[in-house]
Formats: sequence, C-alpha cells, structure tokens
Amino acid sequence: MLRNVCRQFPITPLINKRIPVRTLRVSEIRFNDKSEQSSKDSFDKSLLKYLVCPLSKKSLRYEEQTNELINDELGIAYPVVDGIPNLIPQDARKIHRNEMHKNDSKLE
Amino acid sequence: MALAGVLFFRSAENIFARCNRCAHRTPAFYRSFQLFTTVRGLMVEAPQNSTHFGFESVSEEEKTEKVYKVFANIAKKYDVMNDAMSLGIHRLWKDALLHKMNPTPGTLLLDVAGGTGDISFRFLEYVRFQLKQRTKQDVRSQQTPSWNAIAESYAAGHQNSNTVSQAIVCDINKAMLRVGKQRAAEQGYITGLSWVVGNAEELPFGDNMFDVYTIAFGIRNVTRIDMVLQEAHRVLKLGGHFLCLEFSQVTNPLLARLYDAYSFQMIPVLGEVIAGDWKSYQYLVESIRRFPDQEEFKAMIEDAGFFKVQYTNLTGGVVSIHSGFKL
Repeated sequence: MLRNVCRQFPITPLINKRIPVRTLRVSEIRFNDKSEQSSKDSFDKSLLKYLVCPLSKKSLRYEEQTNELINDELGIAYPVVDGIPNLIPQDARKIHRNEMHKNDSKLE
Repeated sequence: MALAGVLFFRSAENIFARCNRCAHRTPAFYRSFQLFTTVRGLMVEAPQNSTHFGFESVSEEEKTEKVYKVFANIAKKYDVMNDAMSLGIHRLWKDALLHKMNPTPGTLLLDVAGGTGDISFRFLEYVRFQLKQRTKQDVRSQQTPSWNAIAESYAAGHQNSNTVSQAIVCDINKAMLRVGKQRAAEQGYITGLSWVVGNAEELPFGDNMFDVYTIAFGIRNVTRIDMVLQEAHRVLKLGGHFLCLEFSQVTNPLLARLYDAYSFQMIPVLGEVIAGDWKSYQYLVESIRRFPDQEEFKAMIEDAGFFKVQYTNLTGGVVSIHSGFKL
C-alpha cells in the first residue's frame, strides 16, 4: 500500500513517467501502440460474453457494419461510440421492420 | 380526527424537509412515505415522485438529467478537483477500499459509477502485484532452483486462464468514461479493463456474473438507491462481495462543524477557481448532507438481500465503506 501511495503522489499529474522497474508495462505500451489507434474505434468483442440488453436481459449481437449491438427480439440497436458500448435504453435506436426483413432474406 | 390530520401533515412536512433521512425502515416504508407526500402534494401542488437534488426538490427524471449535466461539466477537471478538495486523501480512501476488497488473481470486478477509473486501476495493480508475489513464492519454495528454472517460472507466472483478472467500468456518463479511457491509455492499463455506458438502476449485465461489485462516490448521485442495490444483488455471483465507498455522517461534533464550514465555504470556491463551476460543487456538498447515514444505509443494503453487512468509518466518518455479501 505504501508503494501505491508513493507512486500516486506525483508532483504534476501531467508527467506520467513510469519508474523503469516496471519494464513489463513499458513493453505492453509499445506493443499496443499501433493497435491502440484502432481500438479507439473498434469494439472489444470479448465484452459480448458479459453484456446483455438492459431491458430484456438477453444477449446481444454485434453488427460490424453499423457498429452497433443489436437485440433482435426487441428490435433495438445500441450504438458503440469510440469503442465504448452505450447501453442506455434511451439512446438505443429502434430497427425498422424493413431492415429486419432484409436481414432475414440475406440469411436465406 | 383533526389532531390526527395535523400530525399527519407535520410528519409529511418532516419528510419534505429531511427526505430519506427520517425513515429508517424498509424501502416499502420509504415508498409509503412517498405516497403520503404525494397526497399532501396534491393539496399544495408539489411534484409527484419527487426526490432531492442537493437541497432542492426535483422530480426523478429531472434529477437524472441534472446529475448527468453536473458530471459532464466537471469530467475533465474531476481528478484535479478530487485532489484539491480532499487534499489528496481520496487516494487513501480508495486504497482502503481495495484493502477491504482484498481481491485475488482471477477476480471479475464490476466498477459501477466508475467514471475515471480510479478503483479499477487500483484493482488491476493489486491483483498483478499478488500474482507476482505468488510466482516469487512458488520459485522460492523450490529448493535451489537454477537460473533457467527461475526465468521459466517468471514467464509462466504470466496469466493463465485461472488468474486473468478483469475489471469492467460502468458509468452512465460518457464524458467521464472518455476521460477514464484516456487516463488508462496514459498509465498503461490496457488488458483486463473494459468500459461500458450503462445505468446503475438497469445494468446491462446478466445474473450471477461478478465476483465483486463496487460503487465509489456514486451511489448518492443515483435517483433510486434501492433499485441500484437490487441490481447489484442480481449481477453478483453467489458469495459475491458488494462494496460501497461513500461520504457519510461525521461522528465527532467538533469535526462535524469544521467539516461543514470547509464543505460549504471552501469547496464551491475551489470548484469555481479550478473547474469554473460553482453550482456543481454546491450540489456535491449538498448531496452529501442528503444521503442517509451509516446505519440507515446499512439497513437499505440488508433490505436488498445482502448478508453480513458492515461499515467502516474513515477519517472520522467523513467517508465510510459499506460491505455486504450475496449468500
């Protein structure tokens, strides 16, 4: 705990230099430098196993093209902004019946 | 009959003045009080389903919106303000919460109202440190290992499926999460951390999922505390740990006076100087006064179905950690 306290007393919060001892973390940053750019926009699919629709509590489907999480049962789509899924029901979009039929025909 | 009527109105008045704080029974009792207030409300045209926003009385929908605006405004300066207002002590409070939690590697944490991610970062630090300690102990327990064996075991100490810890930060406010994600990138927390925009009263997670649920300095801002507690109970696994870090009532009367003076005179000024927002910080100190005290909140947690509910006062009762288990 003392270590944590000491490390979190930087003089200026702007300088976030890590102590060289933590080489593991530094290499993590370098490795993820390029993918960080894309992760800002893309959604982490491993979250899907945890997320459900807040209204029906059923699991969701991720739609790549529109970058949304879709609940087919209720016909609503939750947007994903900056890689962060927005699961507030008021911000969800209702999927029109035409689109639903289109999807069905595509599957066929 | 008239006397009863007068008494009834008197008690209803008390409710308007002191809101949640006067009731000390079950949520059903709270709801029946709300019914009384609405009856009185019809007579004096007060809003139905009214709740408190600081010392004001507003409707429930208004409260959610107003609180959202408060945090959207202060998001960028949130961490700086925390340090200024609490003189850095908030870091110790959050460290204390982690110690109470004492997570082991392989824990799944849901950090509600996690905003800028303080608790989740500390959680990841803690479990990674534990994992390192474990591998070191494993190595030491082997007799006179060769350098090759040590190197291999350090490499193996890297997480396997049993020891991968995951923290999910859930907040209703997108601005706070954006700041949090940026901080995470700066400080190097990439793996094991996820961000979700969600309402604590209607969590987008399945039943019986999480090992630990935390809500730090968030529960006094929600519109329906009982709903949040019920959702917390739903998403926790059997044996799951519920932890709440929140401002509470100071026990010592002298300290209480100093604290009140500091809260109402210093904090909004700091808010204006540093964040340029007097009103939000006025709301902050008022909302602390409106929140139920330690015993009352403990009763609310027990009503939601948690067992072994305890609370620990920190800094003389300025904040308190409530803990419960789903058993």
